[in-house]
Amino acid sequence: MERRQFIKILGMSSLFLHGWLRNLFAAQGPMVAVAQGTDHAGITRKALAALGGMQQFVKPGQTVVVKPNIGWDRTPEYAATTNPTVVKTVVEECLKAGAKRVKVFDRTCNDPRRCYASSGIESALRGMKGVEVKHLEEERFKKVALNGKVLKEWELYGEALSADVYINVPVAKHHGLSRLTLGMKNVMGIMGGSRGAIHKNIDQALADVNASFRPHLTLIDATRILTAHGPQGGNLADVKVLNRVIASTDIVAADAYATTLFGLKPADIAVTRTAYQRGLGEMNLDKMRIVRV
Amino acid sequence: MKKVTSARISQLLFLALFLVLFLMTEYRGSDRIVAAVNGFFRANPLTAASTMLAAREYQPLLLPGLLVLVAAVFLGRFFCGWICPLGTILDLVTGRIRKVGAIRALTGRAKYWLLLPLLIASLLGVNLAGLLDPIALLLRALTFFFHPLFGDTVRGGWRSLYGLIGERRDLFDPGYRLLRDYLLPFRETLYPLAFLSALLFVLILFLERYERRAWCRRLCPLGTLLGLVSRLGPLRRIPAKLCADCQACREHCPTSFDRDLLQMEECILCLECSLRCPSQRVRFRFAGPRPQVGTVMERRVFLGGLVGGVVLARGLRFREPAAEAKLLRPPGVRDEDEFLKKCVRCGECMKVCLRSALYPAFFQAGAQGLYTPLLVPRLGYCEYNCTLCGQVCPTGAIPDLGKEEKQRQVIGKAVFDKNHCLPFAKRIDCIVCEEHCPIPGKAIRSERVELTGFDGVKRVVQQPYVVDELCNGCGICENVCPLEGKAAIEVFRVKDRTPLKASSGGASSSGAPPVSDPYVDPYAGGGS
Ligand code: SF4
Ligand code: SF4
Repeated sequence: MERRQFIKILGMSSLFLHGWLRNLFAAQGPMVAVAQGTDHAGITRKALAALGGMQQFVKPGQTVVVKPNIGWDRTPEYAATTNPTVVKTVVEECLKAGAKRVKVFDRTCNDPRRCYASSGIESALRGMKGVEVKHLEEERFKKVALNGKVLKEWELYGEALSADVYINVPVAKHHGLSRLTLGMKNVMGIMGGSRGAIHKNIDQALADVNASFRPHLTLIDATRILTAHGPQGGNLADVKVLNRVIASTDIVAADAYATTLFGLKPADIAVTRTAYQRGLGEMNLDKMRIVRV
Repeated sequence: MKKVTSARISQLLFLALFLVLFLMTEYRGSDRIVAAVNGFFRANPLTAASTMLAAREYQPLLLPGLLVLVAAVFLGRFFCGWICPLGTILDLVTGRIRKVGAIRALTGRAKYWLLLPLLIASLLGVNLAGLLDPIALLLRALTFFFHPLFGDTVRGGWRSLYGLIGERRDLFDPGYRLLRDYLLPFRETLYPLAFLSALLFVLILFLERYERRAWCRRLCPLGTLLGLVSRLGPLRRIPAKLCADCQACREHCPTSFDRDLLQMEECILCLECSLRCPSQRVRFRFAGPRPQVGTVMERRVFLGGLVGGVVLARGLRFREPAAEAKLLRPPGVRDEDEFLKKCVRCGECMKVCLRSALYPAFFQAGAQGLYTPLLVPRLGYCEYNCTLCGQVCPTGAIPDLGKEEKQRQVIGKAVFDKNHCLPFAKRIDCIVCEEHCPIPGKAIRSERVELTGFDGVKRVVQQPYVVDELCNGCGICENVCPLEGKAAIEVFRVKDRTPLKASSGGASSSGAPPVSDPYVDPYAGGGS
């Protein structure tokens, strides 16, 4: 075979193979585990197990940060903050996998003391060995070069940056501006400075942050979701009970799937769309492996 | 050198109690705060007298204060010698200060010149007693100056430790947490008038240079009031005069034996004279013969006090209209005049306020509003679920309301400034204010509007608006608005502070938006 001919065939076959290859990739696309059930600790464990168990992420002796949404002074039933049972189960699994320390915190919008108390997370984790529920300390923020489209640099929380493993545990809910707040928006909880200022370009700004800071695992709490008047809610009529937990290592995929729970398409959410376009993860549902457990 | 007397023990216990209560005036993870935190004010006869005079009604909250006043009829100024924390502090430091002798101007009837106008102004509806009330003075000095200073210092040290040793600081974290949770103010706040509060306190200490307990004898309106009522009572010291052969009392008595005759109105009942009398002659007795002490005050003083009171009450009323627009009072305060009658300027509400929303007024509320609490939204906001200020207010000037009721109280109303607000002025997205609005149905909403940006690009922008019927003026929107300096949304005072309708809040209510609502939420109704 002549060399030229060989190249030709190769080229042709690559054309032919292209779709096939893509399908192959899709089959291996990001895995999204969706667990359903009223036993919220149980479904959290199941979702984790579907991804291979917590020992896939946490190695003995490591320091883990678990970042729930504790942003508002609301009790758990209002779905403005992450379900304490889900948080507790994740923390327990981390400890079981051998984590030396698990730190839990969030940068709150209302008074931090009230948020931590009302969310039920503080009391759920009280007394657990090796677990620290911490208030943020201003001096721990560090300037990080993001070199993003709209954010060149921003202050991120030191303890999140220095953790061996970072686990993102948002609650799925409505938001007045970005329509939904899910995994990628939850990362705002480690941002310092005036976060309000990024609202003018929120999808690009969040993509910038998420491009440089990547959680190892995202677990979206959809045991109950807030469908309107977010992100604070406060009215039980806006809350819908779904009894679901979604887990994935691909934050965009997790968000994309969670979007469907609101009767929306992933592309409806600018934050998801922008992240996908910038290659941060998969947003097409048919290119994910969605495992229901 | 000092013998440990019962009076001394009692003083120290009460001082400790005062400090503990002070530290407890802080959110500690529970929605209710121990009612005792303002105990010193509830048991304060001056507070009781001035507030009831001003409000012209019996205030059940202040019953303890009345009881102390009645007790003073029988026991004289025991409060000053056994309880008052300011007096205790003076006793503790005075030994270290050399005396130069009393100030002439203060020795006469000066104290009545203070007390009388205060009481008469109260009677005319202007309650200024808190300005010079010793407990309030002390609490304000602590709240506005010393405690924040202490907090700043410790926190600053903790911070710089991080700069020095970084993450290794975590080793000391448990210790610091204890300190933070029990001793430090949780938040760092700088208060206006902090300097003045500290200065007044220091001045009182400074008076010790002239004589022991100079403030208590010569000025303190609370002590003067107690002394005044004790005249009516039967308690006498025997002998009433210095004994010719001994005169040791002159040395032992911290207050009233610089003349030959015991001044019952200045005696703080510390019992030093009786405990230390070499020949054990001194005793205190009820229904002793009434010694000649002269009239309480000359008519001159009385009339002067009267005029002074009228001047205080009428002359200090001026208020600047512009300042008045931002004269926001704590939640539940509906009528400014009634509030001024009851507020004793103790500073408790400002100490306890979760989000540093409350600050002492300087002249915003006119001279008569000095030190009364004002809500300054740009510095802090009223936390939706918090009810602490009403709980600690000793006189009920800020009513103690349940959570749902407090959430419906109107502090003011938010108003947009479209020349500033980003979606209007710059045509870009923002609505941080809507995001933070805690009202379940959202008092700030936004409509999607298609606009051409100033860069020529067509886009959809969300422009916010206020739903007046839902806005309670908590101030969080003004607080979080990301614009520098002045916010694009501001809470202004409104006259009509009728509480919001119950349906707007309740957890189980439908939360349906008013019919006129042009913003149709895409997810509304999807929840059932
Ligand atoms: S109710 Fe509002 S003003 Fe009063 S203490 Fe709480 S946050 Fe401060
Ligand atoms: S936060 Fe300020 S600038 Fe932003 S929309 Fe609200 S009022 Fe306007």
